[in-house]
Amino acid sequence: MINDIRNTVLAVLNKNNYGYISPQDFNLYAQQAQMDLFEDYFYAYNYQVNKENQRTSGTGYADIKKGYAEVIDFFSVTFNLSQVGANLDKFFLPSISTTGSDYYLINKIFIGSTELERIEQSKILLLNSSPLTAPSTMFPAYTTEASTATIYPEPLVTTNVACQYIRYPKPPKWTYVDLGSGSEPVFDQTQPDYQDFELFPDDATDLTMKILQYAGVSIREASVVQYAGAAEASETNSEK
Amino acid sequence: MAYISQYEYYQNEGNSPEDVNWGSYQYISLKDIVVNYQLMYSGNHSLVNNEERYKILFHAKRAIQELNYDAFKEIKVLQLDVSESLRFILPSDYVNWVRISYYQDGVIRPMVENIQVNSANSYLQDNNYKILFDEYGNILKPEQSPLDLARIQGQKPSIYLNSLSPYNGLLGYEYEGCWYFDFAVGARFGLNTETANSNPTFRIDKKAGVINFNSAMAGNSCILEYVSDGMENGDDTQVTVNKLFEDYVYAYISYQILNGKLGVQEYVVNRAKKAKTALLRNAKIRLSNIHPGRLLMNLRGKDKWIK
Repeated sequence: MINDIRNTVLAVLNKNNYGYISPQDFNLYAQQAQMDLFEDYFYAYNYQVNKENQRTSGTGYADIKKGYAEVIDFFSVTFNLSQVGANLDKFFLPSISTTGSDYYLINKIFIGSTELERIEQSKILLLNSSPLTAPSTMFPAYTTEASTATIYPEPLVTTNVACQYIRYPKPPKWTYVDLGSGSEPVFDQTQPDYQDFELFPDDATDLTMKILQYAGVSIREASVVQYAGAAEASETNSEK
Repeated sequence: MAYISQYEYYQNEGNSPEDVNWGSYQYISLKDIVVNYQLMYSGNHSLVNNEERYKILFHAKRAIQELNYDAFKEIKVLQLDVSESLRFILPSDYVNWVRISYYQDGVIRPMVENIQVNSANSYLQDNNYKILFDEYGNILKPEQSPLDLARIQGQKPSIYLNSLSPYNGLLGYEYEGCWYFDFAVGARFGLNTETANSNPTFRIDKKAGVINFNSAMAGNSCILEYVSDGMENGDDTQVTVNKLFEDYVYAYISYQILNGKLGVQEYVVNRAKKAKTALLRNAKIRLSNIHPGRLLMNLRGKDKWIK
């Protein structure tokens, strides 16, 4: 998908010799555009929930929310958490520095089949001091601080603490073979660092328009930015 | 909780104790209540949304506590011997008493609560009735107040018709430790029925967490029937509620959450309140156990000749 999108972007940009963007710039814009759209999934999901509550959405093929849930679930990862040193109640959250994988949001942490409840730092002391609400093995809880989670009460077995989270999409990378000066770089998806967009093909148009907006700003071409902005808005409205 | 097999129900799959699952089908666990509520009554398209689990848990436990106080009729019973200090320490899950009896010669005899104070704190005083303090300014207290001491030593007369009554031995007769037709009792009108009981008496000191008896109870066995709050000493795994009250607990949680939430329309709160009240009434009727067979036994007395 990434090569098609790049070709489209270049075709629009080069019309009337407006300009050209390098593979490096394209990769930067592509990553930014993908992140924008990825975050929009969650807002779009919430928008669809509100529409359902207003009874202005349907079921079956008209269930748009289900589609968003499927896309978001594509980025779902379940991961066993490891202890922080000898602390029996502290666990590393998934992050680049600790586990090598980053998370966008933690959906749940669980021990076996028991889900832990996330508690705000401002509430945990109050929660622990009330006999009726104090976390128990049946209703455990956790707080997060930096890249660690603290589990209440201390789990009896520390090997089956896991979390399910939504990860960031991998940064797209249009890889190429350089044929020397004066020649266009040629797309090469066999490169080890090649990475296609992780978003679904129906987002190709949105991705193209977003990249065009960034590129238009880059080459200082207002008409490109306006066209891409209007096209994206139109696309978004038609999907509501 | 998943359904259990017949083998697990009757014999706990060969484990000990064997009786752990007997009758368990009458009850639903706290975990099931919270999980069911989150699944069925809370969510994007429900009245209750974005509520923390601990709030649902709190209200579920509060509902169970309220039910235990009056609706459940689940009485706990504890039997202990009363020592020379004439005290019975209240059980750790005690909330209120239902009946206190003493057990003697194979007979359970209900006791009455003494209408008079039978225990007190006391301060040490000098000859001028000044209160005495220690070097840190704390009040000095005797081990027992004169009132307690007199009661424990059996020197405190009783207004009840037992062996400590001032009328005891004046008139009437004693048969095997019990007094019948005392002078001031049966032979004339004016019997104080409130104190007309020959059993030992008790009084509950709630703050001290003990039941204080009169001296007749020393060495006797006491049976305490009491109600708890159903929290099972904080062990959430043991907290259960009768299935007849399951819907009420859900309705109670909904009402409490909606009632305390900002921006919920009053008619929605009222609807939740009515649902809660109606379900409690239904459940109480169901649990009242008005069986035709039991009514029949009572009604058989209607043909009895009354002299």
